Amino acid sequence: MAHALREKAAISGVGETAYTRGTPKSPLALQLEASLAAIADAGLSPRDIDGVVPYFPGGGIAEDFIANLDLPDLKLSVFVPMGGATCVAAIQTAAMAVATGVCRHVLISVGRTGYSGARVSTRLQQFPQFALAAEFEAPIGMFAPAQLYAQGARRHMELYGTTARHFAEIAVVTRQHAILNGNVVMNKPLTVEEHHASRMISDPFRLFDCSLESDGGAAIIVSAADRARDLKKPLVTVMGVAEGHPESPASIAQRPDLLEFGLAKAAPRAYDMAGVGPKDIDVAEIYDCFTFTVINQLELLGFCKKGEGGPFIMDGRIGVGGELPINTHGGLLSQGHVVGLNHVVELTRQLRREAGKAQVKDAEVGLVTGYGDMGDGSVAILRRAA
Amino acid sequence: MNAAVPERPLPTPTRESQSFWDGMREGRFMVQHCAGCGKARHYPRPVCPHCFSMESTFKEMATGGMIHTWTVCHHPFNFFFKASAPYVVALVDMDAGVRVNAPLRGIAESDIKIGQRVRLGFEPVTKEITLPFFVAG
Repeated sequence: MAHALREKAAISGVGETAYTRGTPKSPLALQLEASLAAIADAGLSPRDIDGVVPYFPGGGIAEDFIANLDLPDLKLSVFVPMGGATCVAAIQTAAMAVATGVCRHVLISVGRTGYSGARVSTRLQQFPQFALAAEFEAPIGMFAPAQLYAQGARRHMELYGTTARHFAEIAVVTRQHAILNGNVVMNKPLTVEEHHASRMISDPFRLFDCSLESDGGAAIIVSAADRARDLKKPLVTVMGVAEGHPESPASIAQRPDLLEFGLAKAAPRAYDMAGVGPKDIDVAEIYDCFTFTVINQLELLGFCKKGEGGPFIMDGRIGVGGELPINTHGGLLSQGHVVGLNHVVELTRQLRREAGKAQVKDAEVGLVTGYGDMGDGSVAILRRAA
Repeated sequence: MNAAVPERPLPTPTRESQSFWDGMREGRFMVQHCAGCGKARHYPRPVCPHCFSMESTFKEMATGGMIHTWTVCHHPFNFFFKASAPYVVALVDMDAGVRVNAPLRGIAESDIKIGQRVRLGFEPVTKEITLPFFVAG
């Protein structure tokens, strides 16, 4: 029997601001600008929104959306506190709301001043999920994700022979895609040599292995599929979606296997719900807080075996025109860091065939992941149903 | 203009973790053990995830272990650590059955290997707080 949520929800609208380093705007203003763009993209009025899942902490809360968008009857206000896994996990929350009839149109949105506002080490202290890291790891000089995730990357290299050349491939191809997109922070080509020459942040991560601190906003609308069919844009349905939480969720250090996290639980559930597998995926937008995390996730998603992610991404496989194009918008590494909601925006555009120079030919089914908060994972599989 | 160096980030012991930090101050590696099933757990927390007992005791454990993985921190995300960068932080599988993350001293970066034996040392940083570090052993 098909999963009760399969294709009951659709991504009906997507919107973004410009991605920049430097802005006079507040995170809330960026979030609302992107939200208005997503609402217009869907052909809706702001007053049609009856559910909100804002990224938290940072940016607006339900009160801000009611006050600014004049929402007459908000029926759902939820936070999904999963760091970088939030935006894709929020699709599951929103899909449940629209499939059951609690809501008609749920707005998921992010506004962030990661460059001109508080930087990562300051922002993380707002997260209750980071209390253990603050007590046991910050005092010994480990706190930022670049440091905490670096230990997993090092272990992968030692166990499986993964190299900086593999990391560079992700950085270089992602940059090529960013240049095709245009609305990006990093718009100059990047070479393997430039990657290898960039300064070390936390070994094995160099500067160009790390995602951007940038300013911007993104938003999507999740609508009941039967309503979205009548809206402006080609129908893109949610075939499968799931979130997963790892062992030792608040401390990577205590996790039995540093390379096995929430996505390992979420991926099989999302494939089951969708009724498809890795071979059916035409394009994938993979949460790229670091180059290595893309390699690790491709393994957990079943695109290749554990330990084989490095060789898998080489030889043109992940570029537009390759067998599995990845991060066709430039990702968090080169487009901008809006906690991965830009990945959902891009996948939706790919399936609508609105992706411009980065369009993957005949893209029918695509996959997007979220990853964050010390190892929470989320994945959605979307389909062009128009 | 010299920006003032920020203060070292320090742990705030909780009702759960106080015994661990008291042990560190006394130069003893104290690990929480379930009073019901006897299993070790770290970081300290109220309930045993194996048998759900809320009774526990802290036992002094051996300070040896093997390197599970490591990183070399170059960029000081907290500027307190700027003067000591680059520094190695090793994640160690302790013989006590739990993991500890702490700076690794006295081993050249190029000589670090998974499985290498190290032992935990105690470095007082305030009257109340002693932090762990690792050396070869």
